[in-house]
Order: sequence, then C-alpha cells, then structure tokens
Amino acid sequence: MAGHSDSSSSEKKSTEAMNDVPIFSAENMQNNMKVIYYSRTFMSIIGGVIAGILGFTGFMGFVFYFLVMAITSIGLIAKAKFLVHSYFDSWNRIILDGFMGGLMSFVLFWTFAYDIVHIF
Amino acid sequence: MAEDLVLDTAIRDWVLIPLSVVMVLIGILRYFVSKLMQSSQLPDPKIVKEGQVIVRARNLRAAANFIPPKSFRSRRVYFSNEENGLLFVPKGQAQNAQAQMFSDPNMAMDMMKKNLSMIIPQTLTFAWVNFFFSGFVAAKIPFPLTQRFRSMLQNGIDLSTVDVSYVSSRSWYFLNLFGLRGLFSLILGEENATDDTQRMMQMSGFGFDPSKSLGAEKDGLDIVQHEWALPKFEHRAEAVLKKLIK
Repeated sequence: MAGHSDSSSSEKKSTEAMNDVPIFSAENMQNNMKVIYYSRTFMSIIGGVIAGILGFTGFMGFVFYFLVMAITSIGLIAKAKFLVHSYFDSWNRIILDGFMGGLMSFVLFWTFAYDIVHIF
Repeated sequence: MAEDLVLDTAIRDWVLIPLSVVMVLIGILRYFVSKLMQSSQLPDPKIVKEGQVIVRARNLRAAANFIPPKSFRSRRVYFSNEENGLLFVPKGQAQNAQAQMFSDPNMAMDMMKKNLSMIIPQTLTFAWVNFFFSGFVAAKIPFPLTQRFRSMLQNGIDLSTVDVSYVSSRSWYFLNLFGLRGLFSLILGEENATDDTQRMMQMSGFGFDPSKSLGAEKDGLDIVQHEWALPKFEHRAEAVLKKLIK
C-alpha cells in the first residue's frame, strides 16, 4: 500500500500494514502535520476577523474560537475519509495540534477587526 | 461601568495599521537577511559520519522485525560490539566532542549572528513604539481582564478609572509579536527564523548531538526484542486478498 496523494491539500497515507506492524513513513507524517498546522492557522485568522466583525466580546469570542477549531477538525477528519489511523498516529494530533498557536493569531485578528469596525 | 470610549479615527489610521504593517515588513526583511547571511560552512566529515551511523542504527531498530533473527543479531553485534563496534564510545572520548563543538569558531559565529538578527529588530521596534506611540489609548481588546493586568497593558495611560480593556500601543506591539507568527508561517513557508521556540530548539540540539546520542542509540538497540514478522505475512496476504475479492 504505497502512499498516494490527493489533488490539492495532499494528505499522504502514512501507515502500511493493517494488523500487526504499523510502520509510519516519517516524511508523509510530517507533511500531514504541516497540512494540519496550515489549515488551523488559516482558519483561526479568518475566524478572528469574523468574530471581530460580528462584535463578539469576552466569553462569546472564545466559544467562537472553539467552534472554529472544531469545524477545522471535522473538516480535516472528513478529508482523511474518517480513516484517521492510516494518516496519523493518534487521535490527539488531528484534534488538538496547533491549538495554542492558533489562539494567539485569533486574538490578534479579533482585536484588530473589532477595533476597526466597532470602536473607530 | 463599561462606558464606551469613542476613539479618534486617526488613531486607527496612524497607529494600529502602520504598526502591524511595519512588523510584517520587518519580519519579511529579517527572513531574507537571514537567508543572505547564511554562511555556507562545510560540515565536519567526522560529525557527518557519526550522524549517518546513527541513522543506520535507527533504521535497523525500526525495521528489525522484517529480517530473520540471525541477521538481526549479527547486525546488532556489528554496532554495539565492545571492541570495534561503531556505536561504542569510551568515556574519555565522549567529553571531547562536546568541548570541540563549542569552541569551534565557525559555529559560534553562526549562532551569534542568528541571535543578533533576532534580537536587534525587536529591540529597535520596541524602542520606536515607545518613543512615538506612548501616552494614549490605542486599542480595545474585546475581552475583559482583571485589574492585575492594568499595569502591564496600560503603560502610558495614567488614569486609573479607564477600563482595563483599553490598552496602550505597547501591548498592541506585543499582541502583534505573538500573533503574527502564524501569519509568517503561512506566507513565508515553513523555513522562517521568526519563531523563538524554533531557535531555542536548534540551539540546544547543536552541541549535544554526537556523543550522547551514540550511547542512546546503543541502548535502544540493545533493548529491541526481535520478533520475526515474516511467517505471519502469508496469513496477512491471504486476508488482504480475501478482502479484495469480496
């Protein structure tokens, strides 16, 4: 089972065997990690701008951030056709990775958009 | 008590946007400068050899179950043999490699250059922000914070009744500093020198590579339990083919 690549955001298959011996192709794993990171960063920036324009404040904004991250996770899982274990080595990666980094970008763009639209 | 201050549009035009634009541009500039200043030093052949030995040992460890037991054992002895095994490093030599690393002038210059190119733009920008943009409310952060953050975020503003959400431009600078990391990784590709944590990881990974990891690899190789997976492969092939046919 060689790794095959999709069209645009190529997530590559990284495990070979099914039953006993899971072998991970390190290069494909890294590529998948990068795809997750880019997707999360991009979505958190867009989410920040949306939250600012809509005027979310305080707690609602963070709830919105979690919502955006959840949508990103679901989108990534759907892109991997729900066979998470053949693309990544654990569930945690696809769900939790890049959370904190995205938070800072989200807050920055949220503040930016909120100020531009509502205060000035 | 949350009265909404009305802030001048000129603040938005002349503080927020220029500051962000300047930080993005400085980040891009730093990236290109660091690329230009990368001195192409020839890697030391001894270190490259040791690195390759480590890679070989790691591959052996990872794929140990695919070769018959006897050949695995003979390969393992080749690596961890006490007399002329590749991974066996007597204690005296181990310390030498580290000391040599740190006193190597080329490497020290490289690290210094990287450090400087990181610190100088940040310091300059911070000084510029402090000089020009101090003493007024710059932005409002959309979430409430406790009073403890007041001294940190409202540096130039000397009124104590203003809501803590209204921050000075210094805190806008810090917010930009952390938040633009994600943006840089998107527009500059993954090889950019703006991430502090990456730089620290590189610095710590440099000096300790050769000697300690040899010992670590040897230990790892000794631990491996060999379980030959090949006899089961016929069953696996049968299962895969059955699935395909169904």
